[in-house]
Amino acid sequence: MKPAPFEYAAPRDLDEALDVLAEHGDDARVLAGGQSLVRMMNARQVSPAVVVDINRVRGLDALGVTNDNGSSTLSLGATVRQRTSELSGDVAAHAPLLAEAGAHVAHAPVRARGTVVGSVAFADPSAELPAALLALDGLVKIRSRAAERTVAADDFFTGPFRTALAADEMVVGVEVPVTAGRSGSAFVELTRRQGDLPVCGAAAVVGLGDDGRVAQARVALCGAHQRPVRVPAVESAVVGADEPSPFTEAAARAADGLDPVPSCHGSADFRRHLARVLTARALSTAFARATSPKETTHA
Amino acid sequence: MSIVEEPVTETRRWVGQSVARKEDPKLLTGRAGYIGDVVLPGMLHGAVLRSPHAHARIVSIDTSEAEALPGVVVVLTGAAAAELVDPMPAFCAEPVEQRAIAVDRVRYPGEAVAAVAATDRYTAEDACAKIRVEYELLPALVDPVAAMEPSATRVHETLDSNVVFHRSLDWGDVDGDLARAHTVVRSSARWHRMGAHPIETAGAVASWDPYGQSMTVYSNSNFINFLPWAFAGILRVSTNRLRMIPCTVGGSFGSKHLITKVVSITGALSKACGRPVQYLEDRTDNVAANDNVGCDRIYDAELALAEDGEMLGLVLRIIDDYGAYFQFAHGQHGNAVAQPVGPYRIGSLRYDVSCVLTNKVQQGFFRGAGADPGNFILERLVDKAALEMGIDRVELRRRNFIRPEQFPYKIPTGNVYDSGDYEAVLDRALEIAGLDRWREEQERLRAEGRYLGIGLASCQERSGYNASEWWFLYGDEAPLPATSTPESCKIDVDAMGGVRATIGCPLWGNSPETVVGQVVAEEFGIDPSSVSVAYADSTSGAISAGPGGSRVTIMLSGATRGAARTVKDKMIRVAASAMEMDPEDVECVEGVFRAKGAPGTSMTMAEVAMRAHLFNDGTSEAESSGLVAVHTYDHPYFTPPTADRSDLGAFYPMVSHACHIPIVEVDPETGQVTLRAYYVVNDCGTVMNPALVEGQVIGGIVQGIGAALMEEYRYGASDGELETPTFREYLLPSMHEVPEIVLEHLETPSPFTEYGVKGAGEGGRLVAPTAIASAVDDALRPLGVWVDELPMTPERVVGMVADAQGRR
Repeated sequence: MKPAPFEYAAPRDLDEALDVLAEHGDDARVLAGGQSLVRMMNARQVSPAVVVDINRVRGLDALGVTNDNGSSTLSLGATVRQRTSELSGDVAAHAPLLAEAGAHVAHAPVRARGTVVGSVAFADPSAELPAALLALDGLVKIRSRAAERTVAADDFFTGPFRTALAADEMVVGVEVPVTAGRSGSAFVELTRRQGDLPVCGAAAVVGLGDDGRVAQARVALCGAHQRPVRVPAVESAVVGADEPSPFTEAAARAADGLDPVPSCHGSADFRRHLARVLTARALSTAFARATSPKETTHA
Repeated sequence: MSIVEEPVTETRRWVGQSVARKEDPKLLTGRAGYIGDVVLPGMLHGAVLRSPHAHARIVSIDTSEAEALPGVVVVLTGAAAAELVDPMPAFCAEPVEQRAIAVDRVRYPGEAVAAVAATDRYTAEDACAKIRVEYELLPALVDPVAAMEPSATRVHETLDSNVVFHRSLDWGDVDGDLARAHTVVRSSARWHRMGAHPIETAGAVASWDPYGQSMTVYSNSNFINFLPWAFAGILRVSTNRLRMIPCTVGGSFGSKHLITKVVSITGALSKACGRPVQYLEDRTDNVAANDNVGCDRIYDAELALAEDGEMLGLVLRIIDDYGAYFQFAHGQHGNAVAQPVGPYRIGSLRYDVSCVLTNKVQQGFFRGAGADPGNFILERLVDKAALEMGIDRVELRRRNFIRPEQFPYKIPTGNVYDSGDYEAVLDRALEIAGLDRWREEQERLRAEGRYLGIGLASCQERSGYNASEWWFLYGDEAPLPATSTPESCKIDVDAMGGVRATIGCPLWGNSPETVVGQVVAEEFGIDPSSVSVAYADSTSGAISAGPGGSRVTIMLSGATRGAARTVKDKMIRVAASAMEMDPEDVECVEGVFRAKGAPGTSMTMAEVAMRAHLFNDGTSEAESSGLVAVHTYDHPYFTPPTADRSDLGAFYPMVSHACHIPIVEVDPETGQVTLRAYYVVNDCGTVMNPALVEGQVIGGIVQGIGAALMEEYRYGASDGELETPTFREYLLPSMHEVPEIVLEHLETPSPFTEYGVKGAGEGGRLVAPTAIASAVDDALRPLGVWVDELPMTPERVVGMVADAQGRR
């Protein structure tokens, strides 16, 4: 359980880090919290020639809300720890789903090192935070030495541990639009043990219209497909609901067309079953929280 | 039978107390001295390349690139190692040869194909990555039932069949009992393979001296003072030129009795380069290839009962998937027949076992050692009988318990149970669990659509094995029909009165120093903290089977008490001589030798010791100088099996007992099982040290929770590849999965042992899996679920619910 030899770069600013990526491309890996990368290097599942440690890069640890032309955005930089996000007042106020899902990630000591962006960039199809970002209509901010671009989360995740990131690019942050109005969210999952990656999880955001009916819903699943995935058929089916009973029927379609990655923790069929069960539960809880503001604080 | 006479009025000062654990300070501060801490001059570090394939012919191995790497000293293939060392010792009669590094063919995923010694572990692992192995894949045998087919590919061409062993034995009139039964309950059951996973993996440092042709081995093996000659055999060293030095063991749970593979690999590497070599398995080595995997059984079982619920006979048909080798033979079935009928008066037994070879790592021993699935199937049958016959499950158990006045009680196989009061244990368990309150809670939650379950199991924990269990299922062909399982202790009192005990067993994660300190303290009346305890290496002559089968406290108590009494008796004679009294009139109280009834005349330990060491007066009555005694304590109650095996003899007669009542909540939609509470009443005879026993019982229950809910080795159905190579796939319970455990003891002392102690090391794991299965059943009773397979993973629970609904 010793890594293969590698070079270690510890840049102080972003340009320097991007230079290393530009030079080494696929032979380089970015180290943030190291909670996945180091384990995989020790097991020699990955053997990068160069490790680019971004923990000393100035400015990447910013977390905050910015206002631009009346629209607000919650943004998290690439070295914001999962624990910081989970305990942040801004996150609790504007994206409670991110905090709730984040609290399910591993255990507190792991979250104290692991980063939100690291989890997104790693793109484990079972992980909680990518699904939460999807359900929040989040954006992924990407930089290379040459360019800067922003990609919708739904376009960023392309497969198991695969993303739209090019070899010379890195994710420098994620953004979540801040919305007004009555809404509620929920994250539910099945894990084998507390803190494990979920076998399957469901993230839901429900927005209510003035009439108290569901005006819009967003549901994202982890552990249910080759990548974290939205389930638009369910989302559209629940619009107009004014009580939770239609959710179960709508959720019966949650696994339609999905192709889960089986593992020893759950077959593809079991994951489809869980996708249906957990989608219904996530929608019900999100709806309850939207209708009863007291419920918006999560446990 | 030897019955130990204990005056009923004997008062004990130290035995029975929660004496502070002697081992704790060094363990808690990381100063205990593990294999990883051993550093010898010039020592190299080993690493092992393992097969990714379950079954393949090794076509070629190219080590040239690895050998060229700077820092690499030696690279050994199986063929090269075979020039230096010999195959693993085997306790089986069948021709199943195993080498630490495979030659020509790999038979399980993770089998070693080459080993490297280099100046550091990083370089050794870099070298492994540069070894090129060409494999020709062979069909992988994964399903044991399919492997039994005569047409199946054979794992070993030296055998005619993959069914390496089959035997069916009847004790009592099984057919008669089936015929006269009012009800015969039948159940299949599946107990999947799971393994011991100690924090420290198996490791050794071997140092070959080419001039003296001698080998020194540091290891975390248990059997260094029991079977040192077996290690000499594999290392191709003469028995009197091998020195095995014990290191503190970072946990074992039964998995480190021999660890011959790491000893062989380090020994071969050291022989090849003439330098000391350290190799400590990493986690993936240990999970894939250590011999720490327990039973892997398919049961087809029947329990015959009379109309009133009296249990008459039991039939157990078993297919056991042994993996690729048969090193320890069918010892885990010898173990199981120590208590196949549990705490019940069942008059007859048929035990029909087929041991099958497949392409998986071989079985070794793991806490429970064969009796674990035995308890599972028996308690499942009893619960099913209660359900089918409409008798309350508690009442059915009560009607069939062996009664207190029936001990010592001989079960059909011939093993003897020493003592017990099972109904008292059951009653107390029901009391502390507050059963009525939980039934009310169950009703309340069911009204909300939630599923709470109350489990119950009453099981045995046989303890203190005799070696006959390893071979008596063979007829005349047993390769080593050993009958001794000794334990020894040397006690010396130095000239200043300091007491030192030296024991033959290693520190294996349990508490031998504390126990020995308590016994010495009890005998001399001194403080246990003043007793120093050391571990003997294999040159000491100490013979010791060490921990295993929940024996070590029983055996160390006997060995230590014997040695302490011999030394104390001599000190009494020396003191009597000095005080000009009759030894009959001298006693040792609180470390002082004094006249009985006249405490005015006395000598301290130091005064007596100095006299014994340096003031031999040369008279004819004088004894030789010094104060040292070695006492070897043999199994306290063993009788040999009969030639026809109609009576296997008494071989595991110290029998503890426990009743477990777990409370669970089950989510039938996701299959999640959550433990809400856990109640235990345990009877392990005289409790030597309540704090230590609490640790053993609770630790065992935690492993039982793992067995019930999560632990399982899984292999790809078609390619046989190991799907659970790390702790991300092979799941162990964490603190979050363990509820508060309420534990109480009842004490029915063993008549066979010193102080009346019985074993306590395995009971938690022997009972918890079947108790939790019964709780899940109870929770899902409205849905008609019957649990017959462990672990109860979420997917299995959802499947069981769907099957039950489908049947309706």
